[in-house]
Amino acid sequence: SRRSHNRSASVLCMDVGFSMSNSAPGEEPPFELAKKVIQKFVQRQVFAETKDELALVLFGTDSTKNSLDQDGQYQNITVHRNLMIPDFELLEEIEHQVHPESHQADWLDALVVCMDLLQTETKGKKCDRLNISLLTDLNTRASSEQIDVIIENLKQAGITLQFFLPFPVEDDEESGRDADRGSPGHPGMGKGLSEEQKSSVDIVKHIMLNLDEENGLDEIYSFRNAIEQLCMFKRIERRPMAWPCQLTIGSCLPIRIVGYKAVTEEKLKKSWTTVDAQSNKKDDVKRETVYCLDDDNETEVEKDDTIQGFRYGSDIVPFSKVDQEQMKYKHDGKCFAVLGFAKQHTVRRHQFMGTQVIKVFSGKDDEHAGVALSALIRALDELNMVAIVRYAYDRRSNPQVGAAFPCIKKDHECLIYVQLPFMEDLRQFTFPSLENNKKFTPSDTQLSAVDSLIDSMMLLEEDDNGDQKDMFKVHHIPNPAFQRHFQCLHHRAVSPSTPLPPMEPWLKAALECPDVIAERCQGPLEEVKRKFPLTEVEKKKKLKTSAQIFEGEMHSFSICIVKHHDSCSALVNCVSLCLVVVTPVSFPVCQQLTRRLEQLLSNKNTAYFMKSITCIQAFREQSVKVNKHSLSFI
Amino acid sequence: MAEWNAYYRNEDDEEEQEEGEQSGGDYKITGRDSLVFLVDASKEMFIKGEDGQPSNFDMTMQVVRSVYASKIISSHRDLMALVFYGTEQSKDPSKSFKHVYVYHDLDEPGAKRVQEVDALRGGKGAQLAAETMGSGETSLGDALWCCANLYSDIKLRLSHKRLMIFTCRDKPHEGDSVKDRQARTKSGDLKETGVIIDLMHLMKPDGFDVAPFFRDIISPPEDESELGLQLEPCDKLEDLQKRVRAKEQKKRAQARLHLCLGEGINVAVGIYATAVTARKPAPIRLYRETNEPVRSKTRTFHTQTGSLLLPSEIKKSQVYGKKQIVMEKDEVDAIKKFEDPGMFLIGFKPMERLKRHHHIRPAAFIYPEEDEVKGSACLFSALLTKCHERNVFALCRCVSRRNYPPRFVALVPQKEEVDEGKVQISPSGFHVIYLPYADDMRTLDPPQCPTASQRQVDKMKEIVSKLRFKYRSDAFENPVIQQQYRNLEALALDMMAPEDTEDLIMPKVDQMDQRLGPLVQEFKDLVYPADYNPEGKPAAKRKTADTGGGAEKKPKVEVPEDELRAHVQNGTLGKLTVPVLKEACKKFGVHTTGTKKQELIDALVDQLGQ
Repeated sequence: SRRSHNRSASVLCMDVGFSMSNSAPGEEPPFELAKKVIQKFVQRQVFAETKDELALVLFGTDSTKNSLDQDGQYQNITVHRNLMIPDFELLEEIEHQVHPESHQADWLDALVVCMDLLQTETKGKKCDRLNISLLTDLNTRASSEQIDVIIENLKQAGITLQFFLPFPVEDDEESGRDADRGSPGHPGMGKGLSEEQKSSVDIVKHIMLNLDEENGLDEIYSFRNAIEQLCMFKRIERRPMAWPCQLTIGSCLPIRIVGYKAVTEEKLKKSWTTVDAQSNKKDDVKRETVYCLDDDNETEVEKDDTIQGFRYGSDIVPFSKVDQEQMKYKHDGKCFAVLGFAKQHTVRRHQFMGTQVIKVFSGKDDEHAGVALSALIRALDELNMVAIVRYAYDRRSNPQVGAAFPCIKKDHECLIYVQLPFMEDLRQFTFPSLENNKKFTPSDTQLSAVDSLIDSMMLLEEDDNGDQKDMFKVHHIPNPAFQRHFQCLHHRAVSPSTPLPPMEPWLKAALECPDVIAERCQGPLEEVKRKFPLTEVEKKKKLKTSAQIFEGEMHSFSICIVKHHDSCSALVNCVSLCLVVVTPVSFPVCQQLTRRLEQLLSNKNTAYFMKSITCIQAFREQSVKVNKHSLSFI
Repeated sequence: MAEWNAYYRNEDDEEEQEEGEQSGGDYKITGRDSLVFLVDASKEMFIKGEDGQPSNFDMTMQVVRSVYASKIISSHRDLMALVFYGTEQSKDPSKSFKHVYVYHDLDEPGAKRVQEVDALRGGKGAQLAAETMGSGETSLGDALWCCANLYSDIKLRLSHKRLMIFTCRDKPHEGDSVKDRQARTKSGDLKETGVIIDLMHLMKPDGFDVAPFFRDIISPPEDESELGLQLEPCDKLEDLQKRVRAKEQKKRAQARLHLCLGEGINVAVGIYATAVTARKPAPIRLYRETNEPVRSKTRTFHTQTGSLLLPSEIKKSQVYGKKQIVMEKDEVDAIKKFEDPGMFLIGFKPMERLKRHHHIRPAAFIYPEEDEVKGSACLFSALLTKCHERNVFALCRCVSRRNYPPRFVALVPQKEEVDEGKVQISPSGFHVIYLPYADDMRTLDPPQCPTASQRQVDKMKEIVSKLRFKYRSDAFENPVIQQQYRNLEALALDMMAPEDTEDLIMPKVDQMDQRLGPLVQEFKDLVYPADYNPEGKPAAKRKTADTGGGAEKKPKVEVPEDELRAHVQNGTLGKLTVPVLKEACKKFGVHTTGTKKQELIDALVDQLGQ
């Protein structure tokens, strides 16, 4: 049977009633903030391309549209969009169709509409997570009679709740009741909370703590807080694929295992397609590869008339795909076989190959395999050893040699598999020793300057418990390339005709050295700068202008001509090169020159040669003057 | 004329270029290596050894063949020549030398040459040699002169010129001082043009004395301390005979950039790839009729008008949330750009913070480039010394090329290591370890498992100890590549069958079983119950199969049209499986080039969404 998918369904339930437009002077109204929250949230969903479905319910609307609308109940609540995968249409609707309206509705009624929607629209679908996010200022009096029924229903249906409010809500015990709550000062509080809001907050807390006694209140967010957290695009997540296999030691000791890719360089799921610039259609563009002989006519040949070959020294050996397939290395397929065990320190970190790390656990639901694997992991750990293994993913893929390291964590144990190099992969480069070269040996004062630099730039700090805390965890930073990519895609999608936006400040900051460090290292850096003179070596300009190349060539040609005055080919080459450079400047003059040169060249005499060279050189100087741009452009 | 040719470098030098920039400074390597085998063909060379040992000539041909075959794979652009001296017949391009026979001119080796050397091996080979060349007078001077001409006829830039003399006669001219002097002069001329002359003296019954004649002919050993002449001839031969089927890699920096410690503190470094996954050589497309290579041209044209499209006439697009997003090609590139190439220091961390499983690609290596920024080597060296001493690594943000987004790297200090023979094993510098981002870490749900008891662990420790070996990174050859090379060799040289490949990454099961003896059973008794079958499926799975009521559920491959349209409408096509989507594409006549799920979905939406 298939595993259940991590698919979720959620309802965004936003208050658009009139009180949402109220705000203290200089503050953004809660409506605008709430709208930003749902925009960011939907954006993330759209780009993450999850199969999660989303519905949008608005309350406080002037009209009413919901399935519970009966006998004047559940009024001013509109189901704007039913449960479906979010798309740009939804984003545009939020942008253009969601406005502040002039009614108010009971937020508990809205919650009931959402619950009903979730339950009816997920019927028959496999969803492992149901969630309702309520965005409101809680400024309506909620009728709390039904509250226990609602909680019971939420629990039964397994629906989780999140509240997004204009103000933060704190734990009573922590903040001290009444006195502090609602105190002005926090943005969004205005002059403090209204009576309606105060009683609503109590109901919210009651519900949340009933649903989750421990962490219920963690699911109550302020708008600002949420916007900050949502500015990051969702990290790319992939469901780990299980790779069941047997670890073997010799011929009679198999252990059932299952491997998962744990670390691998993630790529964007979608790639760019080429479209016609006018129609934006990809069908209008066709790419075609043709094959041609390496002759003067570039004679085209049919693809079917080509075969494949391989270079063998100066020869090319025809070797058809069929033959290659037949003669190629074949193996028995999937395996994880121990070749032997080696000391851990002999397997060096910088020799790790491949692009992934695989974590190996014992086979699913097999405690005996679990014990056997645990024995191996612990034995390796206690002996400081690794298993060197042959690993093959399946019959079609090439086998590897790799190391399986023991890994023992508080809550689990596993083997960590990394590929190791083959002899063919290694490049044994040697470099001059830095230690034995007096010229490069740093002095003691220089060394101590570096020492203080290291001191000032240590990225660990002690936290309250005296533990070392890492200030810069790379594996917690989202790949900036993806963030930027989605930022630009989103921008282009919503404002197609404007140039791409600059990088977001938070992203730039995330890639920089932490402020504390940047400040602390200023002194030591200055010291390093003083102690180590660094001078950029004047380089021969890599990109010469054509004039410079020309000059150089002229010089070497004349030398070459003098040396080999009988070498006709050199002369012809020389002249043709000159002409290539000169031609665009002035064609008629050039023709004249060509004729003259040909005359000179027919006479095998060095003196004539030098004359022709001088002639070209003078001509060139003139043309540079006349048309600087065209020459330097060549 | 050498510069001339070097300037108009062959355009098919793509292999040379793919590795990126060449390293500067002392390591500048341009041009090709060359090697001339100068082999004595006198009667003495053909004398068979005792107990049917092959003759010196035969052994030499074996060596030549194996060097040819190795070079073809490791660096086929190197030039090689095979010249015999002391022959009766003469053959050389200038037709001006007697008793010198140029068997192979200085050129890239190919299959034909290997076969031609093969023809000189064994009894038949000796016979062929006698027929074509014969043995006659010896003038090493003429032979060396002839070789000098071979070199000077080459129009390519040669980086390394070596000449190897194979002989078993320590007095080739039998005391003829004129000929001796002539040979000395010619060898001097050759050495002056940068040719290194090596002697491979072969066994002869009363020993080979290098001193009287050859000492002045050959090049002095590169290292003063090493007495090159004392080497046993067999050692050198064995080295030469060792077949290496691996592509030789020239030392080149992938990129040269600045390691920026702070504002205005830039250390110039070169990045080197020290381990790169070797792949099978790429195939070349040939024209069936003539077996000549063809070139491929790719062009982009408009489907309707058929006209070629300029880069300005195309754009790039992606579809998200049912919306097409279009960008210019330039914009697509610009999105990737964060900053100019360089390594920017963030800070330092203790080595134990570098997690073993934070691995996404093979490491690189950096070494200072003193001739880019003077003072680089000193600061680099100080940083290396201190990082090593304090057991810390440097964390840097790294942009390795233009328009590459940044990656974070750990610079791990590496002190120079040498072996007993003072040969460098690891050079000093920093290893560059690429670190994963949050997106690269996959969330796993580790299963809860029982842990082993100390008794069980101890038994496994015995097993582990029995199977200990010393790991060496160069001990394992890639069987896939080795097989491919052998197949090619077999085809090129018309061999009946390729040489056998030993699969070095196959567990030596029999030896392992033997070493372990009863330990395996003892361990199994400790961890596995008697009725447990570690090779079978887990019990839980079997149960569902038994009670499943017989027929297995086959995946439903077809979806009714209205349902499909509803999926398109709601953007829920992603819920369907790939086979279902493929079936749907077929049903609606949707043509797709791709087989990826997203491509199928896009195609269906295109067709049905309108």
